[in-house]
Amino acid sequence: MSDDRVTTFDTPTGWRAVGRYGLLVVVSVIVLFPVYTTVIAALKPGNKVLVNPLVPDAFTLDVFRDAWNEGSLGRYMLNSIVVAVIVTVAQVVTSVMSAYAFAILEFPGRDVLFLAFLATLLVPVEATLVVNRQTIDSLGWLNSYQGLTVPFLATAFGTFLIRQVFLTLPRDLRDAAAIDGVGHLGFLRHVAVPLVRPTIGAMASLAFLSTWNQYLWPNLITTENDMNTLQSGLRVLSQSSGVDRPNLVMAGVIIAFLPIVVVLLVFQRQLVRGLTSGGVKG
Amino acid sequence: MSARRRVAVALGACALLAACRSGDSLLQAGNDAPPASSTAPPPTAAPGETLAPTTTAPRATTTTTPLASLPPCPVDALDDVTQPVQITFWHAMSATNETALAQLTDEYNASQSKVRVRLENQGGYKQTLDKYVQSSQANRPHVVMLPEYTVQQMADSDSVIPIGACLEASGYDTSPLLERALRTYQTEGVQWSMPFNVSVPVLFFNASAFEEAGLDPADPPVSLEELRAAAQAIVDGPGNRVGIAFDSGVDSGGGWFIEQWFARAGVPYADNDNGRSAPATRVLYDGELGVELLSEVQSLILDGLAVTVGDNPGGQDALLKLADPQQPAVMTIATSAAIGTVKSVLDGGLIPGITSEQLGIGPMPGPGDVASAIVGGASLYIVADKGDAQAAAAWDFIQFLISAQSQSTWAAATGYIPISEDALELDPIRTTYATDPRFKVAYDQLLAGPSEATRLGPVIGPMLEVRTVTAGAVAAIFNGADVATALRDAAAQANALIAAYNARN
Amino acid sequence: MITPSAVILGIFVVYPLARAVLLGTKRCDARGRNCVSNGWDQYVDAARSNEFVDALWVTVKFALLTVPPGLVLGVALAVLADKYLRGIAVFRFIFTSTIATSVAVASLMWLFLLQPDIGVLSNIGWLADLFPVIKSPGLLRDPGTALTSVAASSVWSSLGFTFLLVTAGLQGIPRDLHEAAAMDGAGGIRRFWSITLPLLGPTLLFVLIVLTTRAFQAYGEIDLLTRGGPRPQYSTTTITYLTYGTDSIITNDAGLQSTVAVLLFFVLLGLSVLQLWGIGRRVHYA
Repeated sequence: MSDDRVTTFDTPTGWRAVGRYGLLVVVSVIVLFPVYTTVIAALKPGNKVLVNPLVPDAFTLDVFRDAWNEGSLGRYMLNSIVVAVIVTVAQVVTSVMSAYAFAILEFPGRDVLFLAFLATLLVPVEATLVVNRQTIDSLGWLNSYQGLTVPFLATAFGTFLIRQVFLTLPRDLRDAAAIDGVGHLGFLRHVAVPLVRPTIGAMASLAFLSTWNQYLWPNLITTENDMNTLQSGLRVLSQSSGVDRPNLVMAGVIIAFLPIVVVLLVFQRQLVRGLTSGGVKG
Repeated sequence: MSARRRVAVALGACALLAACRSGDSLLQAGNDAPPASSTAPPPTAAPGETLAPTTTAPRATTTTTPLASLPPCPVDALDDVTQPVQITFWHAMSATNETALAQLTDEYNASQSKVRVRLENQGGYKQTLDKYVQSSQANRPHVVMLPEYTVQQMADSDSVIPIGACLEASGYDTSPLLERALRTYQTEGVQWSMPFNVSVPVLFFNASAFEEAGLDPADPPVSLEELRAAAQAIVDGPGNRVGIAFDSGVDSGGGWFIEQWFARAGVPYADNDNGRSAPATRVLYDGELGVELLSEVQSLILDGLAVTVGDNPGGQDALLKLADPQQPAVMTIATSAAIGTVKSVLDGGLIPGITSEQLGIGPMPGPGDVASAIVGGASLYIVADKGDAQAAAAWDFIQFLISAQSQSTWAAATGYIPISEDALELDPIRTTYATDPRFKVAYDQLLAGPSEATRLGPVIGPMLEVRTVTAGAVAAIFNGADVATALRDAAAQANALIAAYNARN
Repeated sequence: MITPSAVILGIFVVYPLARAVLLGTKRCDARGRNCVSNGWDQYVDAARSNEFVDALWVTVKFALLTVPPGLVLGVALAVLADKYLRGIAVFRFIFTSTIATSVAVASLMWLFLLQPDIGVLSNIGWLADLFPVIKSPGLLRDPGTALTSVAASSVWSSLGFTFLLVTAGLQGIPRDLHEAAAMDGAGGIRRFWSITLPLLGPTLLFVLIVLTTRAFQAYGEIDLLTRGGPRPQYSTTTITYLTYGTDSIITNDAGLQSTVAVLLFFVLLGLSVLQLWGIGRRVHYA
């Protein structure tokens, strides 16, 4: 987060600082409480999850290894990553292309078509699930990466966001490029895209997160356990081991949680930068 | 302020909603004529007698389907196979049962080279059923394990090869198999599936708590009067204990157990001989027996002798109530399929204060003085149109699973009832039954029950949905609602479901 | 240029919606076959039916339980952490970390917290004594507390996202404004209402829309925590769960499912119009 705007005004001292620290600590404890209890539960050997839920018994990492192996979490995580990456990349590409068309190109019916695009944002995914499953089924794409990704390769949201930024491109720039003989694709590549990079970053992060979090769709179209994503895989794990080995399930939950936390740590700056300069602030 | 405006709009919308509500069920949407709702409860027999079959407007279809009109079972197709045939098996087992099934499958795969079976755990009976019906034939597995209430639905689905065809084509000797288990999965004169994991409800109880309350763990309550007396002794006894934990789950206290009680009392649950002589058109549980049974359970709860653990979505909540540190229940009714898992959980030390030796298993308490039960659990279907070699492979695998040795191993590990009587003479179940009588309770209870087809429980098309509405009524009753009204409303909804199903099939 | 987007959106959004609208007039089996036509009044009847009205009410309640608290908490935390203190980055990271919880992760964590027999809260003695509902019948099984508990897990899970966005929004408010106001004698609270909140407008609008959409489409948390129960009140059955829930009575009828799903579409349509019209006007642009 940028510090260049900090003045002494922002820095509480003395009792105000202590008070603020205190408040921050209390809130942090509350926010982290569910995570803490999950870690404790995972660490309890012999399934003694009932006893003393706030204090760990021992520090055994075996349970994490077991959850990884028996829960096939490695495979599920791979599936989630593949699906999320494909969808994110595809959404960026298709959104940039259609945003360019709607912002820069001229053709009859452009505005009407754009409104139609926007209208699809209003359609909840539930209204399309039954039919989409049938479509995927008849294409033979159940239990496949295609089935998990293809319905989400385009989004009107991304189109909208990026179009907003493209609209700020001055006409003269485009005309000058045309005079120089640069075609649309070249203009796109060399001028337009670099301009919207932060917005793309924000859009990509949101797309990645929301695809990573998908629960209903993977549940619906996977009947072979190998193709579960991490979310539907966690459900399988909790159903098959939730009774006799809750510590295993909790370990699986932690395994699903940690990588994103790490990614968050690394990409925090970019994420915020993208969100502040992108379409969020009008 | 925008917040204030939003609240105002929300309140306005709520008022509008309340005014627009029609009071009808979603299941009636679009229907023009309301179905004939039973305002007077249908005639019922006293427990122990059976009714003459009531015939209400039967469906136009015949009730016997000739085997020749159904897909054949190519039992010899494996003979010419050069490469191993891969087949998938969708199942819904969890915990200990899943481990046992995996072991059996590995054993089968290792014992021959023509068939390779791959297990796919779909996460639960409902999920398995949903995935099956939602998929096109090409995406269905070769063998699927589906719960006992799906018989009519599978028969109407035109998607399976009836096991009867395989039995006939291969001349399989079914005499060692439990006749009542086979009959449970027959309708329209056809054996649709092969029973594999047979379970009945049993009483789980804390034997040491029994002793502390002055009860004999070797003589658990069988009739409802004995149950009340035992619960009273427990509540009056030491510790802050409750007699019994009930649940209103769809596959347990809210649905399945009710069917079991009706079968035990010899009263039909649905018309047309429980749907066996012709497809059922309505349920009959809002009659005298239903009101009597559920009033008794309701009074147990209201008198503080019993508690309800609610909907039990995972199936474990009633059992977990036995482990509650503050106010445990001493008894609960749950499926015998859980015996293996519960034992291993207790052995693993999950529940402090209860060891697996202290776990008592008794027959399910219910109407009448004799403990009996009907077949529950799941069965195996061979899916059609998947190729001849695959169908033969599926049949070969099923034969392995129902063989005496497999059933013996399976029953000993899980608590399911072996469907092959020859299995009782083989280890490990022979030793288990001899040394640990708890495992045998379910078996004895099943054999004490009826074996005529019409008394083997209801066969209804949309059985799971019917159970769901029944469970809703049971939950309301547990919360103190008027029993007769709750049952009547549920029956009306169930009849609507059945009517819609019959219209589509 | 538009073709890829148009094709995908056409096949997987427009076509299914159109087909769902048609299916919604019929009663079918689970795959949309063997249909019996019931006419357009199926929509009207469904909209007025008990289950739908109840589910709509539950959905609205759920949105009210998750969106305002989510917004308020996000802003509160962002303002709390918006000071230049040593180690503030650690606290900011902690507050953002729930962004890493997916629906399944958060729900399973909270399931373990709230389970009345082996759960964490029920085994903290003094807490269970203070609030007996924790143990009997359990926060997720009591019809009065079930929805709030599911909402709590949802709010917690979205906290990181809200915090991050509001913090980013706070960064964009020029410090001089605050300094000038402070010099004129405006206290912290006054400055918050007059400067911070109005300038956060666009950010808050965006967060509001995202949170509301999530609330109306909540499925995973309900599936993992309560399965739409407790019965018979069906206290946590939202419209989405009524359509696709594991224990729903219409999962074997693609026709009725489509009816309810299309009705949900219209509800969301109305909601979007409401949001953009009623609130969008009040947003200040810096």
